[in-house]
Amino acid sequence: MTVRDIIKRAFLVEIIKGMALTLKMMFTKPVTIQYPEERRRVYEGFRGRHAFVRDAVSGKEKCIGCMKCANICPAQCITIAKEKIENKLVVVKYDIEALRCIYCGYCVEVCPVCALVLTEEYEYSSTDKAALYFDKEKLLKNWDEFAAKQQSETYFNKFWRPDGVDSAKMPKSKREQGPVPTRPVLKPAEPAPVAAMPKETAQP
Amino acid sequence: MSPHLRRLATKELTINMGPQHPATHGVLRLVLDLDGEKVIKCTPYVGYLHRGTEKLGENRTYPMVLPLTDRLDYVSSMANNIGYCVAVERLLGVSVPERAKFIRTIMAELTRIANHIVWLATHALDIGAMTVFLYSMREREKILELYEMACGARLTVTYPRIGGVRCDINQEFIDACTAFINEFPSHVEEYERLIDQNRIWLVRTKGIGVISAEEAINWGLTGPTLRGSGVPYDVRKCAPYDAYDQIDFDIPLGTNCDVYDRYRCRMEEFRQSVRIIRQCLEKLPGGLVLNPDAPGYDMAAGPRKKPAPPAPPPAAGAAPAEAPAAPAGPQFEDLYVATEVPKGELGFYFVSDGTGKPYRMHVRAPSFVHASVLPRLCEGGLVADVIANIGTIDIVLGECDR
Repeated sequence: MTVRDIIKRAFLVEIIKGMALTLKMMFTKPVTIQYPEERRRVYEGFRGRHAFVRDAVSGKEKCIGCMKCANICPAQCITIAKEKIENKLVVVKYDIEALRCIYCGYCVEVCPVCALVLTEEYEYSSTDKAALYFDKEKLLKNWDEFAAKQQSETYFNKFWRPDGVDSAKMPKSKREQGPVPTRPVLKPAEPAPVAAMPKETAQP
Repeated sequence: MSPHLRRLATKELTINMGPQHPATHGVLRLVLDLDGEKVIKCTPYVGYLHRGTEKLGENRTYPMVLPLTDRLDYVSSMANNIGYCVAVERLLGVSVPERAKFIRTIMAELTRIANHIVWLATHALDIGAMTVFLYSMREREKILELYEMACGARLTVTYPRIGGVRCDINQEFIDACTAFINEFPSHVEEYERLIDQNRIWLVRTKGIGVISAEEAINWGLTGPTLRGSGVPYDVRKCAPYDAYDQIDFDIPLGTNCDVYDRYRCRMEEFRQSVRIIRQCLEKLPGGLVLNPDAPGYDMAAGPRKKPAPPAPPPAAGAAPAEAPAAPAGPQFEDLYVATEVPKGELGFYFVSDGTGKPYRMHVRAPSFVHASVLPRLCEGGLVADVIANIGTIDIVLGECDR
């Protein structure tokens, strides 16, 4: 053992070095976020609470009941029921069981009419199971709550048409999907192409 | 021994360590036979977190199994996803665009850093150095933020897809990633300053859990646990996937085969990962990130169309009763593809009957293999070293029990 080693051992050099770092840290800016008061920035495409996009013109959901989301869902938490009313298939029931959802976002990506969205909302825990069983009305309400919080007038979800993915194979309605308005359109506008979209997509 | 002392001799005691024990990294149960402080026998019991991922996979199409692989090793979910995608791509014969390969490599290495950070934090915390835990979580947060920037999720990412990745990364991600890899090496130095020469750390890790190279191979160890024994085996080098064949990096090796050398290996891997990410960001090509011909989410569960393979004979006696109406009957093929996840070699073994679902899926989980070596490492040692040994093999029970 050299003299240097003995000095190192006797004077706890490595401990002092570590302590110096700890001391230094006392004078740096804290990295902790004081959560309920401060919030971290939520990035685009965050996969949070489910919502149905409320069509600005018709005021209803855009779902056409193609079952793609229910089929792909790995957790099988989407239930859809369709009925023939006046010779038209109508989605009478659309339920998402948020407690079973694993937030993979597949449903948002497969939806051919961009009706579904995983919003940036993440504070919706509940002690009531029923409150996390989203039916059609609840999903639309989720959208209203989310849209009201949006700063910008329009919203476009990243997974509706992901960047860098060839859109040639996507359904036409998905290719042409533009940002949706977050505020209700007051004046009954001319029949927007959005309203005509469901007819173009083939019903299964 | 005098008769008096013999009367005082200690009695063997069997104790349960876990399944609820903060140092077992999950729900691992060890039954320890102790003689005083000495471990005579150590028996690991696994399976408390069994969720039947492999069986679940048989009832889902290939794209639907992907989110399940997030939940194997939840500390490095991105690496599992990539491992799964690489395996399925090879099975289905799908090519991946260059840009997606590089993005995946960046993500895999970020995951390696994130995983080793969690490993270092918990390993040091178990051994008694709490400060490291607090500092390292700071850097992990930044990686999780990078994940969120890329794909909108922080832990269970589901970012890669069969044939590429889900969505492109933007300039904001590249800037944030560059900033992260520029500052990260200085943080590694901070961790090292705290524990590298610390005498308590040295006493607790040097010469503990020694396993020779030959034995390590025989036990099936992989990853840094094996490389700590000086075996230069790394799937990224031996059978390169994604963009690893275009990247220059070294494999850190240990010499003393103990806990300390495995710790050194992982610390060096931090630096190598930074090096890989830097090269990937520099070389990042343009173009699409998803092969347009790759099977999409609407992949049919029935027989899939294939460009007429050189039909192998159906496995003898394994013809399923529910054979689809395909004219030639099910064509069985099997494939094992390994990738280097932070913990070791993660392999996916598929038996395919030519449909959109795996006929059988098996996950070769490094944590499971590593958990089996615990008796070898612990027996003959002290109780306190059991903790160091659990830390050094870097297991996550979600992956071990699947």
